[in-house]
Amino acid sequence: MTSFQIWLVRLLASVKPVASLMRTPWGWPIAESLHFICLSLLIGTVGLFDLRLLGLARRIPIAAMHRLVPWGLAGFGINLVSGLCFLMTEPDQYIYNPSFHWKVLFITVAGMNALAFYATSYRRVTAASASPDAPRTAKVIAAVSLTMWIAVMVAGRLLTFYRPVPCRPGESASLATCIPGYGNRYWK
Amino acid sequence: MFRWIESSALSVWTRESTSVLAYPAILSAHTIGMAFAAGVNAAIALRLLGVSPGIPLVEMCRYTRVLWIGFWLNAASGVMLLIAYPTKAMTNPIFYLKLTLIAIGMAIFAVVTRQLGREPALESWTLPKKRFVGIAALVTWGGAITAGRLLAYTYRHLFAGS
Repeated sequence: MTSFQIWLVRLLASVKPVASLMRTPWGWPIAESLHFICLSLLIGTVGLFDLRLLGLARRIPIAAMHRLVPWGLAGFGINLVSGLCFLMTEPDQYIYNPSFHWKVLFITVAGMNALAFYATSYRRVTAASASPDAPRTAKVIAAVSLTMWIAVMVAGRLLTFYRPVPCRPGESASLATCIPGYGNRYWK
Repeated sequence: MFRWIESSALSVWTRESTSVLAYPAILSAHTIGMAFAAGVNAAIALRLLGVSPGIPLVEMCRYTRVLWIGFWLNAASGVMLLIAYPTKAMTNPIFYLKLTLIAIGMAIFAVVTRQLGREPALESWTLPKKRFVGIAALVTWGGAITAGRLLAYTYRHLFAGS
């Protein structure tokens, strides 16, 4: 896993034009603002859809509420791009950061959870004859979704506080949370 | 005044405590509150702009509670952040821009929710009016978030006397 991380850091660092654009005075702040705006869009659409499945505003047809979801997905797509921009600029600050590992895990669970929703519940809750009350499966999925996205935000915010430091000699683990070979930053 | 706040026990704890429940938790709460407050505003704006006309606008008022929870969570966490770094925020003009944009955003929201309660009113708004209010809300909240992010890059004094 550590060698995979080293490989990934080198790969991300090899995209030079993005990093030089991000290192201009406005690059990073603009990407970060966009990241936060699209995160709000995601919560305002997917999060509110989850709340609807959980029973808030029962008189709104679930199918109508679902129309907002593609906008959240677009927001997520933009965040994936801006997120990659951060990674390509400071790869070691993320790839060896335990908070980033958690963030990726939470995003993955949120994604698989969304797939589970479309596989098990989407048709039932959006059918013309659907009950205003979502079935229990859909409610569990909605609760997991909300929890995961909140966890993603927390892990994202904690990134700064878990910045990796250079590894001490001989320090190793299956998943590196310190920067190996920091002294000879071969990828620069 | 700033010096006095900065030397208070609460300010020092918020700023310097190594506990994850101090500064990191407050920042996280501020982000979550932002997402729900700006998110509900974005949803209402999208609805005004014609996304998902099947959502009855009157029913959207159920979500205003979510917005208020986010708003108050952010007012509280924001005050904590201000106690931690009063000079940093108060000497930065962008901080006042952020507060102004939030005030405008909440004023737009107040206009919309006043109408949300009465069934025909908002539906009878002309299309250009709906569009104008929807876009104004999106621009204002986007601006408030951007201004908030920029605070980390544009401050001139971190502490009183620095």
